[in-house]
Amino acid sequence: MSDVVRQITLGEWDERYERLRAAGMKEAGYGGPLGRHVVGGNTRLRRLRYDSSAAALRLWNFLLTEERRLFEARRAGKTIVGAMKDLGTVPVMAYALPDVVAFYPDGAWWLPCVMEHGAGLLARADALGVDESFCPVRAMLGAFLSEGHFPEPALLICSAGAVCDDFSAIAQRLEGLGRSILWWEVPARRAPEPGEPAVALPAGFEAPEAQAAFVRGQLERVREAIERAAGARLTDDLLVEGIRRANEVRGLLRDLRRVVFTAEPCPLGALEMLIAEMLAIHFCSDLPESRVVLSGLRDEARRRAADGVGVLAAGAVRVFWVNPVADLWAMNVLEECGGRVCGTELLFCHAIEDVPEDLPPIDALARAALADPMVGPAGDRAERICREIDAFGAEAVVVCRIPGASHCALEGKAIGGMIGERLSLPVLEVEVPPLSDGVAAGLRTRLGALIELARERRV
Amino acid sequence: MICAGIDAGSRTVKAVLLDARTREVLGVEIGDQGVRPAGATAAVYDALLAGCGVRRDDVRFTVATGYARNLVAWADTTITEITCHARGVHHRMPSARTVVEIGGQDSKLLRLQADGTVRDFAMNDRCAAGTGRFLEMVSDKLDVPLARLGAAATESTRPAAISSMCVVFAETEIIGLLASGAAAADVVAGVLRAIASRVAAMAAGRVETPVAFTGGVALVDGTGAALGAALGAEVAVVPDPQTTGALGAALLAARRCAAR
Repeated sequence: MSDVVRQITLGEWDERYERLRAAGMKEAGYGGPLGRHVVGGNTRLRRLRYDSSAAALRLWNFLLTEERRLFEARRAGKTIVGAMKDLGTVPVMAYALPDVVAFYPDGAWWLPCVMEHGAGLLARADALGVDESFCPVRAMLGAFLSEGHFPEPALLICSAGAVCDDFSAIAQRLEGLGRSILWWEVPARRAPEPGEPAVALPAGFEAPEAQAAFVRGQLERVREAIERAAGARLTDDLLVEGIRRANEVRGLLRDLRRVVFTAEPCPLGALEMLIAEMLAIHFCSDLPESRVVLSGLRDEARRRAADGVGVLAAGAVRVFWVNPVADLWAMNVLEECGGRVCGTELLFCHAIEDVPEDLPPIDALARAALADPMVGPAGDRAERICREIDAFGAEAVVVCRIPGASHCALEGKAIGGMIGERLSLPVLEVEVPPLSDGVAAGLRTRLGALIELARERRV
Repeated sequence: MICAGIDAGSRTVKAVLLDARTREVLGVEIGDQGVRPAGATAAVYDALLAGCGVRRDDVRFTVATGYARNLVAWADTTITEITCHARGVHHRMPSARTVVEIGGQDSKLLRLQADGTVRDFAMNDRCAAGTGRFLEMVSDKLDVPLARLGAAATESTRPAAISSMCVVFAETEIIGLLASGAAAADVVAGVLRAIASRVAAMAAGRVETPVAFTGGVALVDGTGAALGAALGAEVAVVPDPQTTGALGAALLAARRCAAR
């Protein structure tokens, strides 16, 4: 299936799709040609360049059918749980029950990009007083009001506290519109005082035991709420099994990252990697299938790496990318400028780490939640980023900002400062809005200049 | 062996022909950028070639830069204006360690290594306050020719405070200032200060001297002084500042040519 290794346009995918089908490609129930998603309103897809593999096709179809699959799950009698502002904890709990599907309403923040504002979601948020001074995740408000993007969840759960103040405000507005939300709080992670009882967290962090105990209490409330919504007991045994299955997905993603970020030439483009990494947060509303999708991508990347082929020319500048990007097209631009992504920290690196399996499950999940980079000091995050940059051998770093997103307004400076000081690498901070056409020339110039600068340093 | 550099900027097109061996500038041409950048760029380039008595076929390598660089179909390659300005400034002012470039639609701050390569850079293109476009608006609103703005500013006794971060709101602010009786000279001086302070904010205190000032706005008297005051450093205007990017592109073309 990997006879043609390159990046192709949506138009080229139509022809490629027919050839793959003729060659016997097996598709999932949600499969089909990519072009149909444009007919469904995702017009922005025309602008992107895609990986030409069947595995990438499956990834895109998985992503772009999420809304439809959620409605189907509802019709099939599944309990739908909206896990908001939670980057990887509540979905693990929800999927531990067989008839529960968790999804990520915040994911609606990409809709204004792929639909080129066609759905009017931001305009609806504007009308509710949540304007562009907020993060584009405010599109979620419009998505709830339109009732066309996902079914009304049986249960809405939202984390608050030391997470994202933008999102907390947006979710409170949603609550003000009559939606009932179960709030659970995550405290700002701090280092234990000398002599204070402490617990180890994933990724080598530590937190006071008192903070872990507090989060355990919060997650017990979440467990009870899921049990009520699903009408079933969410036992420790089920949670243990749920954690194991979530860890399988995380392990696949780590494998995929390792292969793609280290192989030369680059075996898979930044766009597909961005989408693949997002599966770690919420499994794109189907945990077992996300495992299949990631396995396919990993196997394709391994084959390419073994064959020494890639989607980009050899010698592309190795760029470490920090924070997700609001306009997916920016990932294509980086590659067109001669760069490749060789590592990422997209604000949910804790969701790529295994949830500890040697602890009582709620304790393990509490520790995983406390390892969230957003709830800790910017310095902790910068430290981790520096370690990863070093490990992946990056030559330059892009710190991406999202307009209105307050959690990365100043953090970028702290991260950039530490990288510059410790690793002496060029760091570029860029702001990419959901539709970046208006700033496209400037974005291309900035990214292009970063690549030129890194190339000069090779000499 | 002749090489060319073309800076297809947002307001003007600049083109430089260079003897790749001696690095001697053979000719320079500047023209307005129109609504059809490809056509305007071709016209400027053809005028340059005609003026120098050179045919297109005689040019061995062409580098295009500037915001419309990808529309220069005959260019052998494109290089960002950040790299080109760095190269051009280093050629004209080798000691420069910080470069401020203010063009028609954006402003940039570059820090250079001793060999003239870029160490790091910052760029503003989201807000026109701090660019040549802002000065054009002011020139138009005050009915003071662009070339006279600097002289007008020297007549100021009490520079106006322009607080807006956005050129559209700044225009409103200027109208308000004029309505309240502010002198045009004070408004101009305030505008120059505002532009300089935007650049200083971009520098974030990381200014290494000597500081070179380039780009079309450097041609406006008084902007260099305002910039120096805002940065707290002496600022030298690069000779022929408007063509620095095109020169850098031509120099990089010569290097590519030599590497062939």
